[in-house]
Amino acid sequence: MSENNHNRALQLIAQARVEGIPEADSSWLRAHLEECEFCTERAHHTDRALRMMRTATIPLPAGLASRTQFRVRLRAQELREREPKRRALWLACAVSWAFGIASALYVWRLFQWFGERTGVPKLVWELGFGLWWTVPALFLLVVVLMEKVRHGSESDWMRQSR
Amino acid sequence: MADEAKSIARGLQRRDPDLLDRLIEQYQYRLFRYLVYVTGNKERAEDFFQETWIRVLERGHQYDGRSKFEAWLFAIARHLVIDWQRSKKPQSLDTLTDPEQEHPLQLANESEPSPLHQVLSQETEENVQASLQKIPAIYREVLVLRFQEELQIDEMAGVLSVPLSTVKSRLYRGLEALRGALQGGAAS
Repeated sequence: MSENNHNRALQLIAQARVEGIPEADSSWLRAHLEECEFCTERAHHTDRALRMMRTATIPLPAGLASRTQFRVRLRAQELREREPKRRALWLACAVSWAFGIASALYVWRLFQWFGERTGVPKLVWELGFGLWWTVPALFLLVVVLMEKVRHGSESDWMRQSR
Repeated sequence: MADEAKSIARGLQRRDPDLLDRLIEQYQYRLFRYLVYVTGNKERAEDFFQETWIRVLERGHQYDGRSKFEAWLFAIARHLVIDWQRSKKPQSLDTLTDPEQEHPLQLANESEPSPLHQVLSQETEENVQASLQKIPAIYREVLVLRFQEELQIDEMAGVLSVPLSTVKSRLYRGLEALRGALQGGAAS
């Protein structure tokens, strides 16, 4: 029997267990295994090892589930306690923005008036206005970025794994 | 199955403590077994087990119920192990997950008999026991996911974050390694 036949048989033995094989290949393999003791033994070895993997039992540590449930509940409580603070932060930023938009025209005039009174260059008081307006956004951005840094990398792979 | 996954997703969105209790009970054996096979260390597997469920609680809103819950669960567990190994040894994720590397994902303490050995030593077929231990964890892992957890190849690709072709190639190499190890065992 040629080496090629053995190689093909071994390849089909693996393929049949990994992803299945077409009927024609299956028939060929059956016929080959009936004649070839070497490949039959290989197939049996593979099946036996896989069977052992399937049936091997690993003893669970005592109380593993209950200890984990306890830890998870504690963490859930922590998260629940943190939730109102985060909501308050978002609310404060939203209110601040809304107020900023509503009052932008008046604040602009105030900065303009102050600039003219004190003789500060136009660019400086314009920058001052821009800064005043972007502070809430910057603050929120920093908070969001800090959160992202904490959980960012894991979030990526968790989304990818879906 | 899809309904159950959707229901789990909704519960995880709400961080439903009763649901989490039930999931921990339901998947404890499969998750722990997977972690033991991947880490090769029972104590470490226990730590990762708890950490995995904490992550499930924290990141549960990212599970949308379109895939099997266990595939998502194993992905979390696997990445925790990889992150831990990466923090231990400053190497890239690719290096750690590249099956061509010398010791990918091999976390077992070589000086002690591994839990895998302790478990399998109860079996009578010593040749096969020794063979399973010789297989690199990266291949053992795919064999476990396919033949123990009975995940489909596309689900495995999700867990491992690799293309289907890579999963298949690892499975073939895993079987080849198993066969090679068996031959070595028979020869010795």
